Amino acid sequence: MITLLKNGKMYDPAHNKNGVVEDIYIRDGCIIAKPSQTEKIAQTFNLTGKVVMAGAIDMHSHIGGGKVNIARMMLPEFQETKGYSEPEAHICTPNCSHNATPSTTDAGFRYIEMGYTAAFEPAILPINARQAHLEMGDTPMIDKGGYAMLGNDDYFLRLLSQKADQKAINDYVAWTLAATQAIGIKVVNPGGISAFKFNQRRLDLDENNSHYQVTPREILKSLSTAVHQLGIAKPLHVHCNNLGAAGNFETTLNTMGASDGIPMHLTHIQFHSYGTEGDKKFSSAAAQISEALNKNKHITADVGQILFGQTVTASGDTMMQHLNAKHASPKKSVIMDVECDAGCGVVPFKYKDKNYVNALQWAIGLEIFLSVEDPWRIFLTTDHPNGAPFTSYPHLIRLLMDKGFRNEAFAKLNLDAQAMSNLTSLNREYSLYEIAVMTRAGAAKLIGLNDRGHLGVGAAADITIYTDQPDREAMFAKPDYVFKDGELVVKDGKVVKVVWGATHTTKPTFDKGVEKDLSEYFEKYHTIQLDNFKISDDEMIEDGRGKLVNHKGKARAN
Amino acid sequence: MHTSNSIQLINVTCPACGLLCDDVLVENKNNKIKVSKNGCAKSITFFEQKLGEITPKIAGKPATLVHAVAQAARILKQAKRPLFAGLSTDVTGFRALFNLAQKTNTTLQHMNATGTQRNLAVLQSTGWQTTTLTEVKNRADVIVCIGTDVVTNNPRFFERIVWLKNNKKSNSMFTDANAREVIYIGEKLNTKAGISPSGRNPSLLACRTSDLPEVTAVLRALVLGKPVKSDKVAGIKTEEIQAVADKLKTAKYAVLAWVAKDLDYPHAELTIQNITETVAILNQTTRAGGLPLGGSDGDTTANYANTWLSGLALNDKQVEHDAILWVNSFSPEKLPANNHLPLIVLGDANTKFKTEPEVFIPIATPGLDYSGTLFRVDSSVVLPLKKCRENKLPTLSEVVSQIEAQLK
Repeated sequence: MITLLKNGKMYDPAHNKNGVVEDIYIRDGCIIAKPSQTEKIAQTFNLTGKVVMAGAIDMHSHIGGGKVNIARMMLPEFQETKGYSEPEAHICTPNCSHNATPSTTDAGFRYIEMGYTAAFEPAILPINARQAHLEMGDTPMIDKGGYAMLGNDDYFLRLLSQKADQKAINDYVAWTLAATQAIGIKVVNPGGISAFKFNQRRLDLDENNSHYQVTPREILKSLSTAVHQLGIAKPLHVHCNNLGAAGNFETTLNTMGASDGIPMHLTHIQFHSYGTEGDKKFSSAAAQISEALNKNKHITADVGQILFGQTVTASGDTMMQHLNAKHASPKKSVIMDVECDAGCGVVPFKYKDKNYVNALQWAIGLEIFLSVEDPWRIFLTTDHPNGAPFTSYPHLIRLLMDKGFRNEAFAKLNLDAQAMSNLTSLNREYSLYEIAVMTRAGAAKLIGLNDRGHLGVGAAADITIYTDQPDREAMFAKPDYVFKDGELVVKDGKVVKVVWGATHTTKPTFDKGVEKDLSEYFEKYHTIQLDNFKISDDEMIEDGRGKLVNHKGKARAN
Repeated sequence: MHTSNSIQLINVTCPACGLLCDDVLVENKNNKIKVSKNGCAKSITFFEQKLGEITPKIAGKPATLVHAVAQAARILKQAKRPLFAGLSTDVTGFRALFNLAQKTNTTLQHMNATGTQRNLAVLQSTGWQTTTLTEVKNRADVIVCIGTDVVTNNPRFFERIVWLKNNKKSNSMFTDANAREVIYIGEKLNTKAGISPSGRNPSLLACRTSDLPEVTAVLRALVLGKPVKSDKVAGIKTEEIQAVADKLKTAKYAVLAWVAKDLDYPHAELTIQNITETVAILNQTTRAGGLPLGGSDGDTTANYANTWLSGLALNDKQVEHDAILWVNSFSPEKLPANNHLPLIVLGDANTKFKTEPEVFIPIATPGLDYSGTLFRVDSSVVLPLKKCRENKLPTLSEVVSQIEAQLK
């Protein structure tokens, strides 16, 4: 059965297509070349004047696992607004708090309704990976995947402090990917989550973890090298030290140099771009950060934009979340040490436009978006739900594409914050092509999803079709059609068919001998057996709903 | 799985309490299970239970599965507002129940809801700072068991987590396990497990359970450095409580454990909050963690799965209902309240009723009759359960999907 999408305007950066009018043919879930005259076209969609993009990919969104579920559990009040009927319902906005802790069903539905066809959970604690996959397995409509957290687990820190060779580290990293069914490796506050368990309260890039006597810089070097040598497409995902602290931009700048040129991705960089200037000792360092990003071609980043309203922050960074807990709103939080593996910090937060720090955070995020020149190296995220729920992406896209709209919003901010930002002097407006880079082609390339994020022959037919409207928020909030693997699943912004999507993984080969030492370590120090730590393929695809897609990397020489 | 003659040795995960010990060895000889290593009273009861009645019953009379399912569906169809209670199952079973509940305007309530709600009330009021079993094993230097001896609920807690062998097989990374201080607070506690391998006795602040609110409030105040004027609190010398406070403050990693089920008195959530806020105060200067223990009958699993599926935790609110579906996969002795409403039981094959329900469908037990997935009581760890014996019992999700098909 062939579906024809006729006369759409293609925004397909992977093939340099910037609004050219073309047809797309779909068969068996994939985009195919124009079939011969004799082949029958089963259905045709006339897309004259419509904007056609690949399905969007959220490369960093906390959609599953322990932290998110604790946030749901702790914050029942967030769900109250969900049940509102008129007249209250009309005030429901994309960054309503119920979207900050959506159920798995809601998460899948809200993503696909916006034309997103994949989202990646960026902070899977290896010990908690089974839960993350259970939740993502219950998330309909979209493809999923996750990054496994290393760098604060005692096994890795022991290896590093014992000066294990790089091959041993590589084997452990590859083993972790396979055991946790992940597609990337993340490090959160390198060494800092562990240090907090030894009662250290802050950790700088070149400061030792007091127990292991290793620095964050050494951790970053070791893990980024492992990821690179193993041929994992996704560069090491780095949540820098000193999250949210005034003056942290220097740590962030120095972190860019920690891998000696090996690719790294610095996540939610907005939260790591703060200076100490001005009366309030809190200022924007977006200019310095953007300049460094422009210069350091081996570094990519996502922004982690904040938007005003009630949300909840969920992070593995217990060291910094414990500090942030005093700002919790509503006043409650969860801080957990987890299994000599990592940690978990959940702190609800309300960003207010009249608050100096919050207003400046908003401006800093946008300054970075507008000052980083290469859209292939900067990604659109709110670090859902930390900066705002992912449902606010259409609003964020409008802020990037519409200078007038942006400046109007800026004019409503805390006046002291306005005085400390150069946002109105940044005249850039993102084009549709650049948005497609950032949310499609670039994200797919970064993660290594070869058949996603583009509209070329052979691509999976994850396709989103919009009506070109001057109000970009309205446009991106409600696509006309969304196709998932060739099936029409959304029409006029509403789900018309429920599908389940696949989980994307990568499994570089490793020396199976790594399990000998790991098995002894688990028996001696852990409270479960090594075999039960590992998640089998069968568990992932149980009941026939889950699918696994394994992406092959290519090992790189040392 | 090792096979020798007709005996199979299987390394299983035990779902009999919240610890989910996964080092238990059982042998299957002619389809009869015997725990052969690392068992405890609870796991032996669980694994060695006989295979019960596999024939469904309608009003106490044997029936086919098809008829029993049809009758269950009829009851659910007639009900305006059913209640699904018990909810003792694994992840797959709970997912099936949740879906059925969505289609039948149903409230869900776990058999342990009252205890769970005590913890939930604290989580939703102030939050908490907690830790998990592997952290306790490797870091804890002071362990306080408040209102519980733990072992009544989690028999192998001390054996597996606290007193280690200090050898290649069992050790602690950051502390001398056998030098740990164990302190109990409460009454009628089995403190034997708290004796260290070298014979050191644990300390005990003896007080009545009903005095725990006061004793924990004073401990919290003393840890915070607030003066307490009276010399005695609930019969305990204040200086003894002060000594505990001092130990906590000088500990590198203190662990304060409780079992919500054991704090069985009105407003016990305030006692739990005293404990968790004591932890929060300690974490201003040193490190500490709360440790909610206990857990049984898949309570953590049902609560977590419900939370991601619906966005909300399960609760213990009493709601009007006109029919009950009772699900009980693990503990045949746990029965639903007899309240004369139409009752469907999907339960352990060994369940013995005082009054026969309208429908009884024996179901397979996860971790015994089929493989499954369960959450450990400290919530971060999720473990696979294994099948150890053969039988023809249907799984909960199979029965539920058959009922669901009849509702269409």
